[in-house]
Amino acid sequence: MALEDITFQVAEGELFGLLGPNGAGKTTLVKVLCNMILPTSGKGYIFDHDVSRSSKAIKRLIGYVVSEERSFFWRLTGRQNLKFFAALNNMLSHQADTRIAELVDLVGLNNHIDKAFKTYSTGMKQKLAIARGLLTDPPILFLDEPTRALDPVATRNIRHFIRDSIVDSAKKTVVIATNNMHEAEEMCDRVAIIDKGIVKICDTITKIKAKIEQTPNYVLIFTNAIQQIRKNLQLPKQAIDSVRVLSMAPMDHGTRVKIEYDPQRVEPPDIMKQYIRLGLEIQAFYPEEPSLDDVFSKIID
Amino acid sequence: MTYSRKSLIEKGILNLKKPLAFIYKDFISAASYKFSFLSQFVGIFITALAWFFLSSLFGGAVSAHLDRYDGDYFSFVIIGIAFANYLQVALRSFSTNIRTAQTLGTLEAMLVTQTSIPTIIISSSLYNFIMTSFRVIVYLLIGAIAFGLNLGKANYSVAILVLVITIVCFSSMGILSASFIMVLKKGNPLNWIFVNLSWLLGGVYYPISVLPEWLEKLSYLLPITYSLEAMRLALLNGYSFRLLLPNIIPLLIFTIIMLPLSLFIFNFAVKRAKMEGSLVQY
Repeated sequence: MALEDITFQVAEGELFGLLGPNGAGKTTLVKVLCNMILPTSGKGYIFDHDVSRSSKAIKRLIGYVVSEERSFFWRLTGRQNLKFFAALNNMLSHQADTRIAELVDLVGLNNHIDKAFKTYSTGMKQKLAIARGLLTDPPILFLDEPTRALDPVATRNIRHFIRDSIVDSAKKTVVIATNNMHEAEEMCDRVAIIDKGIVKICDTITKIKAKIEQTPNYVLIFTNAIQQIRKNLQLPKQAIDSVRVLSMAPMDHGTRVKIEYDPQRVEPPDIMKQYIRLGLEIQAFYPEEPSLDDVFSKIID
Repeated sequence: MTYSRKSLIEKGILNLKKPLAFIYKDFISAASYKFSFLSQFVGIFITALAWFFLSSLFGGAVSAHLDRYDGDYFSFVIIGIAFANYLQVALRSFSTNIRTAQTLGTLEAMLVTQTSIPTIIISSSLYNFIMTSFRVIVYLLIGAIAFGLNLGKANYSVAILVLVITIVCFSSMGILSASFIMVLKKGNPLNWIFVNLSWLLGGVYYPISVLPEWLEKLSYLLPITYSLEAMRLALLNGYSFRLLLPNIIPLLIFTIIMLPLSLFIFNFAVKRAKMEGSLVQY
């Protein structure tokens, strides 16, 4: 993904989110900042070190949590994996042993660290990846979708761990790439929303929500089945001008449809009339505050 | 910039620790596949046995070409096969290790550490070289104990010197081959051409004197020709360093040209892959 117009600063001790849909350029940006990709133009700095030119200094300052579970050696134990990466990070044996013991305690892998990596659950693999990123005790940690593929409980634990243990207690600066708005809101001090390689907006989530002009969404409850609605509305085309279907969900006796509309061009009574004219039966019609996902969608649309 | 004695020692230990970490990691991984680990040694015995029978059957046919070596065809071929293993490992392991690490996903995790890419690539091939050396020793031991390979005259110190130059020379070809993988990801024409030409013309199975004259001349363009010749003369005839100079000098010339060239091309390939963002793609 090509990055085009990227400008942002991250303060020390901040948990900063790079938020965007799949393919937005988040991972590319993280890799540029970790000296894994060389930009053709533009500059990036970490503590005054140019990320393209000062490879050694950058690698001393950062920890990059590679979430890909295949980035570990599966036939080795968790401890053997960490010792291997500690050696590659210029750590002497006694330093590595002490640090690994601290990290294992921190991420809660005490009972599993001497078991083969191939026996680990997804959550344990993710914790080991975070421990690996923290091996050198770097002031800055980059995490790329750290809760991807985790179950809800493991997701919550990892989010709390990053916020409480890494940022609030250990005072690290953390940059996290995610496509999950809720995750960003729960964890991040500020976010940059990226789409198609461009930073669309950069601020706290509260301020971003306030900045985006919000028109209420409407929810329609139809008695018709979801297939009938799709057919009559000729989805995915939008059958009614100035009205956009955001989501559809089947219910016990009907379907819940969320829409947004352009208030300059159409009013709710007109919308109802048009749906009835299309042969649909409306049971309820009420406004609903836009969700975080709606704000996110609006920014990247 | 000045370094204290302690920091220099620490730096030395750290530089040594990285290759050792790779060797240990690869040994643990390889040993965990127990059947595969043991079966390679059974394979060496079977290969040696097969060549022993073949040399009993056909060895006489090439005996006129073996006058310059103090040994029979079996001694000739077993040394050829054993040491040609180094060519195979040097040419294949650098590129194969990059490709494996790319496909497994471990390359990215290694690249963000404080270890340079050349150190990662070279260190990840060390285990293969150690195992090849172990296999060569087993080949020679089986040959000597079970099949009459006579190493009584061997000049081991010169043989080791030839081996070191050979490994560096072959490795430079391997690093060049890794550059192809870094950029093209798959399909390495250099490797294919060089390995096949070396096995065909380099004197692995038969002395190059059996080749037609024009092919014999072509074989002198391959470093393996000089390497195997020097190794046989050192192990079977006990030739001294001075007597082996006609083989050692061309090997050194290959190395002096190819090593800096391959490192330059490799660095260029890495930079290009970094700019394309394809360093860990496969």
